Amino acid sequence: MSDHTLAPVRTVTLHVNGQPVVVSAMADTPLLLILRNDLQLNGPKYGCGLGECGACTVIIDGVAARTCVFPLSGAEGRTITTLEGLGSRAQPHLVQQAFIDEQAAQCGYCMNGMIMTAKALLDRIPHPSEAQVRNELSANLCRCGTHLEIIRAVMLAARQMP
Amino acid sequence: MTLTTLTRDQLLAKSGVLLVVDQIQPPSGPVAKGGVPVLKPRELGLFIAVNDDGQVYGFNGHVDLGTGIRTSLAQIVAEELDLALEQVCMVLGDTDSAPNQGATIASATIQITAIPLRNAAAEARRFLLDLAARRLGVEPQSLVMDSGVITSADARQLTFAELVAGERHVLGISGDAPLKPVEDYRLVGKASARVDIPAKASGELTYVHDMRLPDMLHGRVIRPPYAGLDSGEFVGTSLLHVDESSIAHIPGIVKVVVIGDFIGVVAKREEQAVKAAQALKVSWKAWTQKLPDMDDVAQAIRDNPRVRRVVLDKGNVQQALDQASERMPRTYLWPYQIHGSIGPSCGLADYQEHQIRVWSGTQNPHLLRADLAWLLEYPEERIEIIRMEAAGCYGRNCADDVCADALLLSRAVGLPVRVQLTREQEHVWEPKGSAQLMEVDGGINADGGVAGYDFQTSYPSNGAPTLALLLTGRVEPVAAMFEMGDRTSIPPYDFEHLRVTINDMAPIVRASWMRGVSALPNTFAHESYIDELAFAAKVDPVEYRLRYLHDERAAELVRATAARAGWVARTEPMQTPEQDNILRGRGFAYARYIHSKFPGFGAAWAAWVADVAVDRLSGEVSVTRVVIGHDAGMMVNPAGVRHQIHGNVIQATSRVLKERVTFEESTVSSKEWGAYPILTFKQVPKIDVLMMPRQHEPPMGAGESAGVPSAAAIANAIYDATGIRFRELPITPERVLAALKLSQDEAAAGADPQPVKGKRSKWWFAPLIAGIGALAGMAATALPWRAEIAPITPPVAGTWSAATLERGRLLAAVGDCAVCHTAPGGVTNAGGLAMQTPFGTLHSTNITPDPETGIGKWSYTAFERAMREGISRDGKHLYPAFPYTSFRNIDDADMQALYAYLMSQAPVSQPATSNAMQFPFNLRPLMAGWNAIFLRSGEVKAQPQRSAQWNRGSYLVNGLGHCAACHSPRNLMGAQKGGSAFLAGGMVDGWEAPALNGLSKAPTPWTEDQLFSYLSTGYTDAHGVAAGPMGPVVTELAKLPDSDRRAMAVYLASLSGDALAQPEPGPAAPQVSTLALSNGQRVFEGACQGCHADGLGPKLFGVSPSLASNSNLHSALPDNLLKVILQGIPVPATADLGYMPGFKDSLSNRQISELTAYLRQRFAPSEPAWQSLEQKVAQIRANPGSH
Repeated sequence: MSDHTLAPVRTVTLHVNGQPVVVSAMADTPLLLILRNDLQLNGPKYGCGLGECGACTVIIDGVAARTCVFPLSGAEGRTITTLEGLGSRAQPHLVQQAFIDEQAAQCGYCMNGMIMTAKALLDRIPHPSEAQVRNELSANLCRCGTHLEIIRAVMLAARQMP
Repeated sequence: MTLTTLTRDQLLAKSGVLLVVDQIQPPSGPVAKGGVPVLKPRELGLFIAVNDDGQVYGFNGHVDLGTGIRTSLAQIVAEELDLALEQVCMVLGDTDSAPNQGATIASATIQITAIPLRNAAAEARRFLLDLAARRLGVEPQSLVMDSGVITSADARQLTFAELVAGERHVLGISGDAPLKPVEDYRLVGKASARVDIPAKASGELTYVHDMRLPDMLHGRVIRPPYAGLDSGEFVGTSLLHVDESSIAHIPGIVKVVVIGDFIGVVAKREEQAVKAAQALKVSWKAWTQKLPDMDDVAQAIRDNPRVRRVVLDKGNVQQALDQASERMPRTYLWPYQIHGSIGPSCGLADYQEHQIRVWSGTQNPHLLRADLAWLLEYPEERIEIIRMEAAGCYGRNCADDVCADALLLSRAVGLPVRVQLTREQEHVWEPKGSAQLMEVDGGINADGGVAGYDFQTSYPSNGAPTLALLLTGRVEPVAAMFEMGDRTSIPPYDFEHLRVTINDMAPIVRASWMRGVSALPNTFAHESYIDELAFAAKVDPVEYRLRYLHDERAAELVRATAARAGWVARTEPMQTPEQDNILRGRGFAYARYIHSKFPGFGAAWAAWVADVAVDRLSGEVSVTRVVIGHDAGMMVNPAGVRHQIHGNVIQATSRVLKERVTFEESTVSSKEWGAYPILTFKQVPKIDVLMMPRQHEPPMGAGESAGVPSAAAIANAIYDATGIRFRELPITPERVLAALKLSQDEAAAGADPQPVKGKRSKWWFAPLIAGIGALAGMAATALPWRAEIAPITPPVAGTWSAATLERGRLLAAVGDCAVCHTAPGGVTNAGGLAMQTPFGTLHSTNITPDPETGIGKWSYTAFERAMREGISRDGKHLYPAFPYTSFRNIDDADMQALYAYLMSQAPVSQPATSNAMQFPFNLRPLMAGWNAIFLRSGEVKAQPQRSAQWNRGSYLVNGLGHCAACHSPRNLMGAQKGGSAFLAGGMVDGWEAPALNGLSKAPTPWTEDQLFSYLSTGYTDAHGVAAGPMGPVVTELAKLPDSDRRAMAVYLASLSGDALAQPEPGPAAPQVSTLALSNGQRVFEGACQGCHADGLGPKLFGVSPSLASNSNLHSALPDNLLKVILQGIPVPATADLGYMPGFKDSLSNRQISELTAYLRQRFAPSEPAWQSLEQKVAQIRANPGSH
């Protein structure tokens, strides 16, 4: 495909945080931009645009997904959960609460990806080993060096999993 | 965390408030060498506001970069005023509210800028108590203050709100208000939860990236080609032309803004701005100034003009060294590194004629405001910088640049504009943490004592002016020289003969301060060197340090840290026995970070004991544990200090082991996390923190100190493990391996021979030109023009039965009609897809039943002739890219159903795009000659001895499926080869279509089930993912009944021909250098491994194909692999496969070639290395094809 050919505009129905939403944009628009700009969600963050750092992670159909490389056209009909969909400051999800309890942020820009990736892991493996946690987060980058607090947060959340 | 309070001036004007203010001298920005600081007039700074709603605000000019100062500062205010933490709101850095206390640098917030804040809080406390005492008619000493309520001995109460209601009290900071004694502290010194984390963990508005305004537009900038350079006459003067028509097709474009070398686009939607920035055609002058050879940074620094500055000269160094019993000159090199904020910088600006507001993640809001005023020639006092949180920054990233960009764009359109830099722009343009060269001359005396220490350091860096100032020509692009290489340049040891020289120099590439500014490299040298001296003197290195360390507090820390780690005295390296090829060692280092203008002052003290494991076979170094002792004096928030220590240890370990900016073609080539990898979760060491109990001492900056001893501690540990000194960072596996080899005296002779140039021709069709004469000769003998078949009126709806149409729909799917006859983003089957063929560029035609531009006037006869003979209705020959040689095998019933289906589509008017064929292929009549030779008559013959399923498969594969069109080799004239070459693999649109005639015997054999899965989903774990032209083929095949795909699988699995002979490898398979493989491995780990981790990584949406079983890695040709790396898989064959990004804009040809060489060596070790990869990448990049 030529670099500068435009993808057609698509109108797509998504299910985001429990609500159906209809958006129209070029079919290849990264889902990240749709979530942030059309749906005004702050959770998923732009970090690299190459799926390398994980800051943009959401959960799509139960699996962690990197929205910077996930086109709108692929999201049609799928169920998407963002950080906001997990819980709020007043009623945080247990993974969010564990990150707060363990102070698992310095700048916190990567935290969305860490929480969403951890949530997807715990849904799949409720009681992972620390090695499994390190593996699962191995492609989520943190520049401030909060890794130890993040691991502790995920292990704390795991202990509280049913 | 956004500003919800009033500005300073609004607070000063309102009633019902207590304000504590002071006349302050705003600090100047950093000053160039020889320059005089330009000081602003003193101004009124507001530090504390107690509002009549009971809320207490604290104001500080510094910002929270993720270090937690918002929390610590709130603790300080809450402590002095006996408030609960949540009763204090800290306002940080906003230029209209917070005092101008300069840039947030040098870890000085708690140590320095918190002092007036604390005094102001004490002032407020004294005033409130006095006021309450007067109102209650008691002595202030008899009152108790708690949580914003003042209570008398007889239990009468007044709240802060009641005390300030209706009046405006403005107090100065007298400095004599009594501070709370440390013994009475309830909050300060206790671990406190960070106030900002709950909002961040739940996605509330916190970061500048998330700020949105009504009518906000989206901007992107296009940077010049001199990536990462900010001085030289070409800066700001290199733009030739911007072709705005190149983005005319993109909707939503509001404006293209060009000023000097500054280019920005503004669009209504962000993705429109993204597309425009990618598509905008810009011509630049070639710039003549080249960087020196950046593979030899030490020499580049030596050659950089310098001004020597001796900052200490004690004893007689020269004489002492002349008399040394062992002279030990050593050189240490620190590489260029990046801050690497995890979120690329973002800014939002709203330009109005009388006021400018900028939402920013800047590290120095007041300096940014001055820059913006200068840039726009606009009154500074009418610019407001609203500081919001941002991704962590550790010095100076692009946060200021992007705000200036946003402001230029906002001014041009008169609306708020948000600009987001790309990852690549942030990597390339951020002011680098500078490379630094440390040269030591020294030695020991016969008694083992230090003879002398002659240290010089060269630090080519400055303050990195805000980019827009340079690009627009507002500031001359002349590199200023700063005096910043002197941080911690004086070693902490009391040597008798000691000289310290700073070689001040201008930057070589855009560089500025980064965490541990020049001190981290200087300490790498100091602490490595004293370790060498100790071993040379045969004295334990900890003991040796203590002999010369006369700062008692430091000595206590050193002893405590060694004891905590269980340090065992040593005088020889390599005392730990090797185990399973792992060498283990332990190293020590100490430093106190001395920063700010020389002689500067000290922050916290830190000492490291690092444990390492060195893999002798791979060269990989793991830091397995760090014991770190840390003395920060009083810790306001010990939890925050511990967190900073962890962060510094991890980030510094990353810098020591992994990080180095690379350069190609005189620009920065590290553009993403593959080319510039950082430490990941699997590599993080255990960290044991010892925090010295010093709560009665003044607080010392803790944001950087902990990292300063890192490099030497790790290098010393590696010496302990291997007996080898590493004096250049990063300590990468290839460097370790090379050094181990050398030390084992395995001479490197012959280990790295010159790569052999590839002999294989670049393109299989290259000899085509030789065939032209022959082709032309034959053409004359055939019918060059065929008769037109009369046009018809398009059939009306209802001509065919629903069953026929459904049959036709499935057949169209098998035949992949839409794959070729639909342009990207275009209407299905309306044509226009460009196809690169060896003979030129073809455009597919419109096969909807539009009478004028499609096939609406085609009778069945005309359609059948086209399908079977390649003759258009008007008699013109079709090019054999249209696979009529396969389609002639379609049976009549199917042909009719297909016609019925195509003629029943909605007609679309879309004229054909003209083709661009090369001579002689641009002469359509010549195709007659081609047909005469290559169009074999006859149909696929049924084979009665085979099953019906097999025959069905054969029919689908060889007829409508036209698999051979891609999967058979073509001869020099573009015809499929027959015989044993039938289905023996071919090239299409630059993609290798692998052989299908011997799949069960392929290097990774295919089974019928795998084929079925692949044809159904585009994926099988044994072979990988369908990409390129095969992706849409599978998308179409997925529409077929399972039985048809199963039949195709059965047929294909049965073929037992020989795979196409692989192109001959060169006489000697080229060796790939260790460096290239090591670089390739780094790219793989940073860019690819997340999805291709073979079960040792995350579970992410889609398949996570193993590369070990990927057919493309085992092929003789790298083409498919390279194409996928460059272009990604934006449209997978089926929806659940997931997506792969293309790396063409992020990785250089060299990086991709190194990655590919590594992948080949790791995942297909039995195959010969691919040759001439870098040229191949360049070639494919230049010829991207249409898939």
